[in-house]
This record gives sequence, C-alpha cells and structure tokens, in this order.
Amino acid sequence: MSDLPPMTSVKRWLVTTNHKDVGILYLGTSMFFLVLGGLMALLFRTQLWVPGGTGLLSGGEFNQAVTAHGLLMVFWFLSPVATGFANYFVPLQIGAKDLAFPRMNALSYWFYLASGILIGISFFQGGTYAGGWTMYAPLNVPTYTPAMQATTGGNATILGLTLFVISITVGTVNFLVTIHRSRAEGLGLWNMPMFTWSWLLTVWMMLFAFAALLAALLLLATDRLFLTQYFATEQGSGLLWAHLFWFFGHPEVYIVFFPALGIMFETFQTFTGRRLVGRKWVIIAMVLVAVQSFLVWMHHMFLTTINLEIKTLIMATTIGISLPFDLMVFALIYTMVKGRVRFTTPFLFSLGALVLFILGGITGVFLGAVVLDYEFRGTYWVVAHFHYVMVSGVTALIAGLYYWWPKITGKMYSETLGKLNFAVYFIGFNLLYFPQFLAWETPRRVFHYAEGAQIYHQLSTVGAFVFGASFIIMFATFVYSFLYGPKAPENPWEYSRTAEWAVPSPPPLENWGGRPSYASGRLEFVEDSAAATDGGVAQGEGAAAEAVASHEEEHADHASIWPFGIGIGMFVFFLGLTGITPYLVQFAEARGHSVVGTADDPNIVYPALVALGLAILGYTLFKFGVEQFDAPEMAIAERWPFGGAGNTKMGVWVFLASDVVVFGAVIGAFVFMRLHAGWGNWETIPFASWPGLLNTYVLLTSSFTVIMALVFAERQNKKGLLGAMGATLLLALTFMGVKAYEYGYKFSIGEYWWTSLEHSIYFVTTGLHALHVILGVLIALFMIYRIMSVDAYLEDHRPVEFFGLYWHFVDIVWVILFPLFYLM
Amino acid sequence: MADVRTYSLIYVVLLVLGTGKFAFFEFLTYELALAGTIILAVVKVLLIAGYYQHLLEEPRAISYMMGMAVFMVFLLTIAAGYSIQ
Repeated sequence: MSDLPPMTSVKRWLVTTNHKDVGILYLGTSMFFLVLGGLMALLFRTQLWVPGGTGLLSGGEFNQAVTAHGLLMVFWFLSPVATGFANYFVPLQIGAKDLAFPRMNALSYWFYLASGILIGISFFQGGTYAGGWTMYAPLNVPTYTPAMQATTGGNATILGLTLFVISITVGTVNFLVTIHRSRAEGLGLWNMPMFTWSWLLTVWMMLFAFAALLAALLLLATDRLFLTQYFATEQGSGLLWAHLFWFFGHPEVYIVFFPALGIMFETFQTFTGRRLVGRKWVIIAMVLVAVQSFLVWMHHMFLTTINLEIKTLIMATTIGISLPFDLMVFALIYTMVKGRVRFTTPFLFSLGALVLFILGGITGVFLGAVVLDYEFRGTYWVVAHFHYVMVSGVTALIAGLYYWWPKITGKMYSETLGKLNFAVYFIGFNLLYFPQFLAWETPRRVFHYAEGAQIYHQLSTVGAFVFGASFIIMFATFVYSFLYGPKAPENPWEYSRTAEWAVPSPPPLENWGGRPSYASGRLEFVEDSAAATDGGVAQGEGAAAEAVASHEEEHADHASIWPFGIGIGMFVFFLGLTGITPYLVQFAEARGHSVVGTADDPNIVYPALVALGLAILGYTLFKFGVEQFDAPEMAIAERWPFGGAGNTKMGVWVFLASDVVVFGAVIGAFVFMRLHAGWGNWETIPFASWPGLLNTYVLLTSSFTVIMALVFAERQNKKGLLGAMGATLLLALTFMGVKAYEYGYKFSIGEYWWTSLEHSIYFVTTGLHALHVILGVLIALFMIYRIMSVDAYLEDHRPVEFFGLYWHFVDIVWVILFPLFYLM
Repeated sequence: MADVRTYSLIYVVLLVLGTGKFAFFEFLTYELALAGTIILAVVKVLLIAGYYQHLLEEPRAISYMMGMAVFMVFLLTIAAGYSIQ
C-alpha cells in the first residue's frame, strides 16, 4: 500500500508511516496527556489547600490522582513529546528521507496510544493504580493492599506501562539504526546537530534503561495477574523492586532531560547567532552523563538496608555526575555572553529552562549526600527539586514547540502572545514549586501537613492554577497562529543552522528535492545519478546495492494500515489481560490454595478480549509480514561505526541487546533473591536435572539446524531449507514438550508458581524463555509458509539469518538457565 | 560465513561442553563445579555468538554494543548483590 491520502483525511492518520506525520501524532497525543496529567495535579493541589484536605477527594482518590499525575507526566507526556520532535526533526537534521523502519515507527506510536488509553480506562476499572509513580514493593501487589490498589484498574496501569515500554523499545531500535546508518554524506557524528546528538544519547540510554524497567514490569505483571510472589515476600522484595526500578529510573531523568537540553543548545545557537561555545566538550560531557547515569541509581535507596560502603560510593558518583552538567551550563551561559541575544519566545523559554535547571540541580546535590538525604527523603524538598529539574525540561520542550512551530505548520505565531505565555508560565512555575522548598517538611503523597506550612501550600496551589492558565495561553496562541497566522518562510530565524531550515515550511513528503550532502563541508543538494558517477562512496554496501537502492528510493512507501491493526490487537489483548486475575484466584482456590488477587469477581468479557486480541494480532501480524512495503536504505550515507551490517540486521542486533538486558535483569533478580536468602538456602525446583540436560541437547541441535537452514538458503536449495526449518520447528516443539512434562510433574504434586518465591522465580524465568521459544515457533511457521508458497528466501537469504540471530539468542539464554536452575 | 564442517565441529563442541556442566556437578565439589560451569557457559556463549551468529564477521561496534548490554546486566546484578552483603 503506497498511496497516502491527504492530511485532511482521517484515513491519512491511520495509515501513515511518514516520520513527520508520526511526529505530529506523537506531539498531539502527548499534549492530550499533558492536559490530563495537569488536571490530576490541579485536583490534588486543591485538596491540599488546607491541612487534612478540602474534601474534594477521598483518600483513595487523592492517591490515584497523585499516582496518575506522576505516571502520565513522566511516561505519557515527557518522553513522547520529545519522541514527537525527534520523529519530525531527526531525519531532517541528518539528511534522511525517513526513519529506517517506517512501519515500525507507526507501530511505536499506536502502541503508545494504546497504552495511554489503557491508563484512561483504568480509572473505570475500580480505580487506577494508587501506589505512587515509583510503584514501590510490596505496596504494588494485592497481598499487601487488598482493599486499596488490588483493582483491575491497577492491573491496567501496570500493563499500560508495559505496553508503553514496548513502544519505547521499538522506537529505540528504529532511531539507533536511523541515526547510525542514515546520515547524509559527509555528516560525521561530531558534526551532527545538537538536538540529534542529544536524542542519540537519549535512545542509547533508553535501550538499556527501559529494558530493565520492562523486566521489572514483567515480574510485577506476573505477580498481579498470575499470583507469583516476586514482590509479595519478606525476602528482599522491596529491595529487588528498588534496584530494578531505579536502574531504569535514574537514567530516565536524563532520558527526559536530554532532548530538552538539545533544544536549549539549538535555540541558544540560533538566537545568539553564535556556535555553541565548547561544542566538542559539551558533546563529551553529554556522553559522560549518559555513561554515569547508570552508576548512581542507589542514591534513591539511601534509606534502605543497603550497606554503607555502597552508599558512600554512590554518593561520590552522584556528586560526580553534576560536573559534566556544570560544563554544559557554563557553555550555554558563555554562548550568550559571546553572542548577541534576541529575546524571542523560544529563547525566553530556553533561558527560563536554564535558570530553573540550575536551581533544580543545586537542590539535588543536597539529596545526593547520604546524611542530608536521611532528612530530606520523602519530603516536599524532593518534590520541589524533582519538579525544578523535570519541568525545566518541559520549559525547554515548550521552547521547542515555539521554535519548530513555523516549520511544522507553515504558520508564524504571535510573539506578543508567546511572550505573555512565557511570563505567565514562569511566574506560575515559581509560585507553584518554590514554596514547596519552604514547606519541605511536608511528607510527600499525603494531604495532612503542619498548619505552619499552609501558607506555602496555598501559594503553591495558586501557582498551580496560574501555571495551568499559561498552557491555555499556549494552546490559544497555537490555535490562533494555525488559523490566522502569517505564512512562515523556509527559515524564519536568521541564524538557524540545521538542515530542517533548508526546506520549505512545512517540508514536502519526501523531505528533499535532491540528495543532501555535506561532502563539501556545507549542506548541498545533489542529484542521485550525478552522485553515483562523480565519486560518491556508499559505505560498505557496494556498488550494486547503491544502484538498486537509488532506483528503489523513488518508490518508497509511506502508508500501511497494519501497524494500526497490530496496535488494536495489542490493546484488546492487554485490556483482556487486566481482568484475568480472578480466574487465576479461582484456579488456585480450586486446588486448595489461599491466594490474594484483585478485588473483582470473574468477568467473562476479559478472557474473551484476550482471545479476540490474539486473533486480531495473529491476522494483522501475518498481513504485516506478507505486505510489500519498500523502505529502501540510503544508497550513499555515513554509517560509522555500523557500516557493513545492513539496516535490518543492525535492528535485530539492537533488539537483542535490549533483550539481553531484559533477560539479564530477570536472571539478575533470581541471583539477587537467592543471595538475599543465602545462596545455600535455596530450594531447587526442577524434580531432576536430566530434563534440563535433554533440553540443552535439543536447543543446541536446533541452533545447528537453523545455521544449516542459512547454508541451504545461500545455496538456493529449497528442499534443504524447508527440511532445516522444519527440523528446527520440530526441535522447538520437542523442547516445549519436555518443558510441559516438567511443569506437569510439579503440578501433579501440588506445586505451582505461587507456592513459594523459589517456585515463582523458576516458573517465570523459564516461562519467559519458553515464551521466546513460542514466538520463535510462530516465526518459523510463517517462514515455512513463505518458503512453500512463494519460494521465499532463496533469492534473498537475509531473513533466515535474522531469524537465526534470534534463535541462537534463545539458545544462549538456555545456556545460562540450565546450570542456574537445574545444577546450582 | 563459515563452512558446514566448522558449524558441525562447533555443534559437537557445544554438546560436549553442555554435558561437561552436568558432569561437573556429578563428580566435583560444589565450588569447583560452580567455577567450571561458569567458564564452560562463557565459552559456549562466545562460540554461539561468534560463529553461529557470525559476530566475528560483523562490524566490531555490534560486539561492543552487545558487550555493553552484558556489562549492564553484570553491573546491576553484582552491585545489587554487593549492596546486601
């Protein structure tokens, strides 16, 4: 499907895979969640008007509003709005026509939307999750909160977040491949625009950090849906969750802030008319922060029982991470000093962001010190610091909205309204958050506080409404601009330097007339045919690939309905999953076990939705798989350091890197819990080690048959290919058969996944591996169908190789699981 | 890409190493078996990744990326494990 309907058509927005359209979808949807999260904040700020609450909200409703506000703002607004900018502008800034995998890009968006709708629905399923956005254990499982959060809506929140993380993972793979393999000729990494640099580092952090969160959420979801015991025991559950969550959570601060920082760099350069001072050092500082962000997570755990030695070490790394930020702040200040500032609306917001970030950063240093953290932890000091950092990021993101608005819409906005917007925003922000420093002794997440703090809370609440009003002004400014604003030129900002300003506003569908090139040291547009003959060098793909790709680029597709269909399938499937806990409770009770699940009674709608979702997924994924969709690789591009791998292959590897962290975190959870219990005190669950050894032989053999499938595909031997793939399939089914026998034996003696922590860990970890095997079986079945029906993979054997990469990874995981669960 | 003979040879080595892990826990002390199993597991992973997934033939950056992912897992597991000692 390649015809893209006009932008005025609803169908356009359902089928589009174009990066600019998807960017607009992300931006629009994230704005919706900004408003929703903001309304939650206004609700609980009103409740906080007097100590003990005004009565506007009940205790449970207050908890829900606080939790939903945090989750919506951190996950459904902050990252997606940055993703929207990145979708729209990163391909433009690097000289690409689109992202590497346009359909996957659309899929990311539909998963994001579906996850957000799940959160919306959660309010109507007995109440949304109410345990705070950090979802600390053991308050995140029904056992410890039977009357409070054990709602189906709580399940929906956790599953919604899980789907959101899946969306992020798909997007991460896409952006990493795109930025590393689709840069215009001559655009080395050092010369990439600062926003693209910030986004590149963001997605690298996302790759590892969100994988850890996915692992944590998978374990939490199995606890809530299937009644496992990860976070329901007194054997280290709280510490396990804190480690997994904050291993993600601290990098998340930079994941959220880096795109904002990138916008600050861009706007400071544009509106001071000067190149960023110390540009190279700023990039190095950002890289340092990205690395260090994974070395500080335990400063969120200073009040737990982790030992003093590690607290001291983490205090040092935490103080250390402020140093690269100092460099960036001074670079921005010095850029202003050296340049000539023009106080446009985007610059004002960026400058405001810098001021707020400095205050947020300084107040965070207090929390990085172990002794001070003992005092400040869990108070409004944390709330105020956190918002000065995160919402300073929002401030810069709004700068981005104003900065790029003319490019996206082709309309100029009113500077007067924009400046009014900034004034109200800045006053509202400080009136809202600064008093919270003064009321710092107030414990967070409760509406009971000392009467002496009332004046600060009332100022804060007034500030919240002023701050909220600033967004009404912002939306009004944009609506007015869209309807009545003058037409924007190609480049309305005199000193903007990046490539998006070299094309019309808004940019055409294909972005460029000619091929962008920086080979001469400046941006030029050259004809493809000329480039192929005048010495343009394709990096690592060879001349034949150049010719094919340059021919195919003319036929790039921009429309597919199947990402939308898969999104619907996932939504229905996940919605169904939210309500299956009561059935698991029934199942356990029928076997004489007493377990705690969600409060609701069984409802047949939910299992029906699970079945329907799976059916939709099966159909749409199949159609997605057989659809002819051309998204050609750029013939001539800078690809360091990933030249020579091919886009899809690199994508598979990036996905596997993410999966390494997911599986690694799940296995790490086992190691941690066993260490916590005492290594030798652990009960081995498998009834014997021989089934594990047998399955080792089975999987190793299947790895061999997969590699033989590749050999046969290369030789264009259809029978051999079919035989090898068929053998792989049979071996995978054999593996599952042995696993079923093992599980069946445990069930026959009355042992299930909820029986003990050891049982939970065994069933979940091996079950997650088995799920990977099942997915492999489905892919193998599809490939066999394609070989039989259209002689697939004989001309182009690469999909067999990609499947092999996945299958060997599944084998590698078993190499680790076998000794861990069967021998040790 | 390696040839069929190399793939077959590696397959046999993998089977032997897999059996070795099992044998260690039958015949050695727990600590020795633990250490030996970790070594065998690392060798097996490297063989599969290097030859079956052809990591040796890919751009070095992919190996670094996968190494980084493994490092993240060890960082999380070891630091978390140490924090409760």
